[in-house]
Amino acid sequence: MLKSLRLLVAVLLTVTLAGALSACGSSSKSSSSTVTNLMGTAPDYLDPGLGYTTQAAEADWIAYTGLLTYAHANGEAGTKLIPGVAQTLPTISSDGKTYTFTLRKGLIYSNGAPVKASDFAYTIQRSIKLNWGGKSFFTENIAGAEAFDKGTAKSISGIKAEDTTGKITIELLAPYGAFANVLAFPAAALVPTGTAISNLSNNLPPGVGPYEITNVVPNQSFSVVKSPNWSKDKIPGIPAGHVNVDVKIISNTQSEAQQVLNNSADAFDWADTLPAALLPQIQSQASARYSKNPTVSTFYFFLNTKVAPFNNQQVREAVMYALDRRALSRLDSGFQTPACFFLPVGMIGHPRGACPFGDPNAAPNLAKAKELIQKSGLAGASVTVWGETRQPRREYVDYFASVLNSIGLKATEKIIADATYFPTVGNLKLNPQAGFADWNQDFPNPSDFYLLLNAKSIQETNNQNFSLVEDPHIQSELAVLDKVPSTNLQSVAKRWEALDEYVAKKAYVAVFGYEEVPKFFSQRLNFGTAIFHPVYGNDWTSWQLK
Amino acid sequence: MATFIVRRLASMLGVMFAISVLTFLIFQAIPNGDPALRLAGRLATPQQIEDVRKQWGFDKPIYVQYAKTMEKVFDGEVISYSQQQNVESEIWRDLPVTVSLALGAGVLFLAFGILFGLMSAVRAGRFTDRALTVLAMFGISMPAFFLGAVMEYYLAYKAGIFPIGGYVKLTSDPWGWLTHLIMPWVSLAILYVGIYSRVLRSNTLDTLGEDYVRTARAKGLSRREVLVHHVLRNSLIPVITLWGLDLAALFGGAALLIETVFNLHGVGQYAAESIGRLDVPPILVITMLTAFFVVVLGAVTDVVYAVLDPRIRLN
Amino acid sequence: MAIERTIESELPGGGPPASVDSRRTVAGIGPYRLAWRRLRRNRVALAFGGLFVAMVILCLLAPVYARDVAHTTPDANHITEQVKVGGKIVEVLSPSGIPIGPTWHSRFFLGADQNGRDVAVRLLYGGRNSLFIGAVATLITMVLAVIVGLLSGYFRGPVDGVLSRAMDVIWAYPALLLGVALGVVLAVGGLNLGVIEIQGNSLMVPAVIVGVVYVPYVAKPLRGQILGLREKEFIDAARAQGLGHLQIMFGEVLPNLASTIIVLVPLMLANSILLEASLSFLGAGVQPPNPSWGTMIGDGIRFIPAAIHTTLVPGIMLMLTVLGVNVLGDGVRDAFDPRARIRVER
Repeated sequence: MLKSLRLLVAVLLTVTLAGALSACGSSSKSSSSTVTNLMGTAPDYLDPGLGYTTQAAEADWIAYTGLLTYAHANGEAGTKLIPGVAQTLPTISSDGKTYTFTLRKGLIYSNGAPVKASDFAYTIQRSIKLNWGGKSFFTENIAGAEAFDKGTAKSISGIKAEDTTGKITIELLAPYGAFANVLAFPAAALVPTGTAISNLSNNLPPGVGPYEITNVVPNQSFSVVKSPNWSKDKIPGIPAGHVNVDVKIISNTQSEAQQVLNNSADAFDWADTLPAALLPQIQSQASARYSKNPTVSTFYFFLNTKVAPFNNQQVREAVMYALDRRALSRLDSGFQTPACFFLPVGMIGHPRGACPFGDPNAAPNLAKAKELIQKSGLAGASVTVWGETRQPRREYVDYFASVLNSIGLKATEKIIADATYFPTVGNLKLNPQAGFADWNQDFPNPSDFYLLLNAKSIQETNNQNFSLVEDPHIQSELAVLDKVPSTNLQSVAKRWEALDEYVAKKAYVAVFGYEEVPKFFSQRLNFGTAIFHPVYGNDWTSWQLK
Repeated sequence: MATFIVRRLASMLGVMFAISVLTFLIFQAIPNGDPALRLAGRLATPQQIEDVRKQWGFDKPIYVQYAKTMEKVFDGEVISYSQQQNVESEIWRDLPVTVSLALGAGVLFLAFGILFGLMSAVRAGRFTDRALTVLAMFGISMPAFFLGAVMEYYLAYKAGIFPIGGYVKLTSDPWGWLTHLIMPWVSLAILYVGIYSRVLRSNTLDTLGEDYVRTARAKGLSRREVLVHHVLRNSLIPVITLWGLDLAALFGGAALLIETVFNLHGVGQYAAESIGRLDVPPILVITMLTAFFVVVLGAVTDVVYAVLDPRIRLN
Repeated sequence: MAIERTIESELPGGGPPASVDSRRTVAGIGPYRLAWRRLRRNRVALAFGGLFVAMVILCLLAPVYARDVAHTTPDANHITEQVKVGGKIVEVLSPSGIPIGPTWHSRFFLGADQNGRDVAVRLLYGGRNSLFIGAVATLITMVLAVIVGLLSGYFRGPVDGVLSRAMDVIWAYPALLLGVALGVVLAVGGLNLGVIEIQGNSLMVPAVIVGVVYVPYVAKPLRGQILGLREKEFIDAARAQGLGHLQIMFGEVLPNLASTIIVLVPLMLANSILLEASLSFLGAGVQPPNPSWGTMIGDGIRFIPAAIHTTLVPGIMLMLTVLGVNVLGDGVRDAFDPRARIRVER
C-alpha cells in the first residue's frame, strides 16, 4: 500500500508541476470597445443621492447631470462651472439669496422618460431623506430644507419649480458664494420624481448623462456603458463617450498595479496608492503611460490651540521649523508636493509668496526649533499625537512623534482604527493635542477648505476644526469672502491669498504636503487625450483606444 | 443517537448565542465607536448624527439593538455599516473561495500529513524520520503569511510560474481556479502537514508498541499487513478528529491571513476587513458561522470516531 | 514513594544484580531526573534549545547594540539622512520611499525600514517585545488553564458545566478573529478593569489577549487528565484523611499534572509567539511605534519586490526562534515519554 501511496504522490506532483509551468501570463478577454478600470476601494454608494467618495463621484458625474456641472478639461479649465440640465448659468439676485434657472427643453432620462423641473425639487428632497453625507450643504443653505429634514414640512419651501415653463427658483437663507458648486454635486443631479427613497446602488435609477451604470455586483464590479438615449439630449460641454468601462474592485493594490503594468487591465484608480516597490519598474517600463498629477488636497497635522503646549505660538512655530516635508513626501512614495500653505496649488487663493518658516523643499531648521522650545519654557511637555492605522498615515505620525521628541517635547503616539479616527479626534471631550488630518476639496472654492478653520464649525461631536481655531480676523474675512458667488471668485483671489498667508504665519496647522496621484494606464488606452479632471479625476468620457 | 443529536444541537445554539453576545459586547466597548458618527460623514452636524442614529436604531438600549440585529441576521436582511450591503449575500459570494481554499488545502495536508507521518513512524530513528521531522518542525515554525508572501514574490512575481494573487471561479475557468489556488494551498497546508505528521507518527509508534501488535507479528503477519489492518485504523482516529475540527475552522475563515496575502476575497478576508472597519454585522455573522461549522463538524467527527472505535460511546 | 536503590541503571531488568547488598538502601531515579537525562542525550533538541537561548540573549542586548553599535534608538526616523556604504553616499530612504538594504556596517547593518529606522535595532527590540509577550501570554495561559482545569475536573458538576461552556465559546470563536477583534478594540481604549488599568499601547494588551485565547487549548487536556485521575483512589483516600479541597488540588492532583504542563509550556510558547506575530501583522497586536517581529513583517510586505529585507529579516528571525522552541519542546516531550526508548531501538 505504501508503494501505491508513493505512486499517487508522484502523480499528484507531476500534475501540479505540469499545470504550474503552463500557467503563464493572464487572459485578457476584453472586447475592443470596453476598457477595464481597476479600483482598490469600492465606491461607498453608486446611488448619486448617497455617494460621497471619489470612486462614486467618478462614475456618477457622467451618468447623472444636475443644473450645473463642470467643464470637461484638464487643470484650472476643469474647475469652470457650465450649465448642465439648465439652459444657462444661474441668474443670481443682487442680495445673493435667489438663484433662478430654466430647464433645457426636451431632455430625457436614460430610460426615455422626460425630465421635468419638479424632478430637481424631488432630487434634493431624496438626498436629504437618504442622509447624504453632504446634506448639510442643502439644509444649512436652502430655505425650508431644514424643516423638511426634520419632518415638519412636506416639501422644501425654498425650491419652486414650474414644469410648464421649466423655471426653477431657489431661495437661500443667506448669501453663500459656493452654492453654485453645491448644485454641481451628483447628489443634486436629477433623478425622476418618484424614485424610491432607499439605497439603490445595486439597481440604479435613470439619469441624464452620456453614460449609465449597470451590472452592479456590490464590492466586486460594475459597468459604465454609453447611454443610448444621450444622442437625443446632447448637452453642449458634456461630450459623448468613446468606450465602455468595466470597473473591477481589487483590494490588493499590488496586483492592481501589476495588471495594468502587464496590460491585462487598462487603468489604475488614481485614488489608490501605487505600491512604492513597483515604481522603479513602472518608471522604466511604462513611462509613456504614467504620470503624477496634483490634486487639490492638503495634508497637515492639527495643533490644538486651546491646550498646552500648542496654545503657545512659539511651540507651534518650532514645529513649523522642525518638520521635514521632504521626509513626509518620501513616506508617501514621493506622491506629495512639500508645502506650508493651507490652500493647495490649483485652488484660487493659494499664496504665491515664500513660506514664512523656511522653504518646505529644503532641509528643516532643527536648531531654531529647539531654541524656540527652550524659549517657550515648555521643553519636556508631553504630547499625544493621534493617527490612523492605514499606511502611510501611520508612518506620518511615527515620523511626527520622532520629530517632536527630537526638538525637546515628549511625544507618544496613539494609532487608532481608521473607521473611528475622525469621530475620535473630532470629539471635544477628548481634546486631542495633535494629530494627522487631511482635506480633499468638495468643490473648487476656498470656502470649502476654510470650513476647517472657521470658529463657527466647532461642534461637540464630529468637529472638523481640530485645531480649535477661533481667530477674529479669520472670522471677519470669511464673513465677506464666503458670500462671493463662485462665478466671481477671481475677483477676490488676492484677498484669499492674504488670508492664507496670515494663517500660515499663525501656524495654527502644520501643513506638510499636497497629495499627488498617479495617472497610470495600459498601452492600448490613449494617454495623451485622456483628461485628468481637477474635481473628478479620470474623465471617462475622454477615454479612447489608440 | 437521537439524544446525542439533540444535545449537540442545543450546545451549538448555546455556543452561537454566546459568541454573538460576546462579539456585540466587544464592539460596544469601543470609545467613539458609535457607528452613527462614521455613517453620517465628516460634514455632519450633531443634528444629522442624531438623525442617522435614530434611522439605524443606535439610540435604543443595547439589548434591544442586539435583539433587532439578531432578528435581521435570521431574516437574512442584516446590512453592514460601512457599505450598506447585505452581509449574508456578501458572505454567500465569498464562501466558495474559502471552501475551495479549505477543502483543497485540507485534502493536501491530510494526504501528506498521513504519508509523512507513516513514513516517519515506519522508519523511526533513521534518516528519513529525521529529515521529515526537520521538515515538520520548519512547517510548524513558519508563519503561514510569511511563507505565502515569500512564495508570491519568488514564484509569482519573479519567476512568473503562478499568477499573482486573486481568485478565479471554478465554474468559469477550472484551470485558472487551480493555478490561482496552488500557492495558497501549499502555504496553508505546510503548517498542518507538520502537525499531522507529528501526531500520526506519535500515535503510530504508540500503537506499534501495543501488545496486540506484537501478537499479530508473532502470529506471522507481515509488517505491512499489521500496519494496514491494525495500526493505521487506530492511529488515524485522532488525526481524523483533528482534521474535522481544523476544516471547520478553515471554513469559517481561519485562513484569513492567507486570503489577505493572496487577495482571494474569501470569508476570512471579509472578516478581517470588517474588523479593521469596526463593522459589527459581518463580524457577527461570520463568527457565528465558524462556530456553527466547528460544532457541526465536531459532532460529525465524534460520530465517525464512535463508528471506527466500538469502545467509544456517544455520551 | 520511590523505592531506593543505589545502583542506577536503565537497562531492562535493572542491570547487574550481583553486587546488590539487600540491606543497603537503593535510590531510584524520579521521573524528572530520568527525563532530564534523556533530554541531555538528545543533542538536536539541546542544540535548538541553545539557538533559542542565543536569540533571547541577543534580544536582551538590544539597548547595548542600539547605543554602542548603531548609535540610534528604535524609534528615531532617519528619512532624509545619508549613509556611507562602500565608499558611496546613499540615501537611507529613496525619494520614492524605498528603504536601503543591509549595509553590513555598524549603522543600518540590516538595512532601514519604511520610516528610515535601523532594522537591526528594531529587530532586537522587537524580539524583546515578541518574546516578552510570548512568555507572559504563556504564563497567563498556563495559570488560567490550570485553575480552570482543576476546578472543572476536580469539582465536576455545575462548576464543570459552566467552565466547560465558557471554554467551548472561546474555543469555537476563531482564535485569530477573537484576537484581532479584542486587539483593535483594546488598542483604541486600553483595558480598564477598575483595579488594573492598562494603556492601549502597552505590551500587556496583546499578551493578555494571546494568553486568554489559548486557555481552552490547555484547559481541555488538563481537565481530561484530571477527570481520569479523579477515578483513582488516592483522591478519595486523601479526602478520607480529612484533607481540604485546596490541599488535595495543589498537593495531590497538581504534581500529577506536572509532566503534562512541562511538555505543554514550550508548545504554547511557540504558538503564543506565532499568534502575536499574526495579530501584529494585522495591526491588532503591538502598537506603533513599538516594534515586534509581526509588525515588521506587516510593514515590510508592501516592499517585497524592491526591498525584501524588510520582510525577510524579521520573518527568518521569527522562524528560527520558534523553531528553536519547537524542537526543544519536542525533545522535552520525548524525554518525558516512557516509551521513548522503544522508538529509538527499532
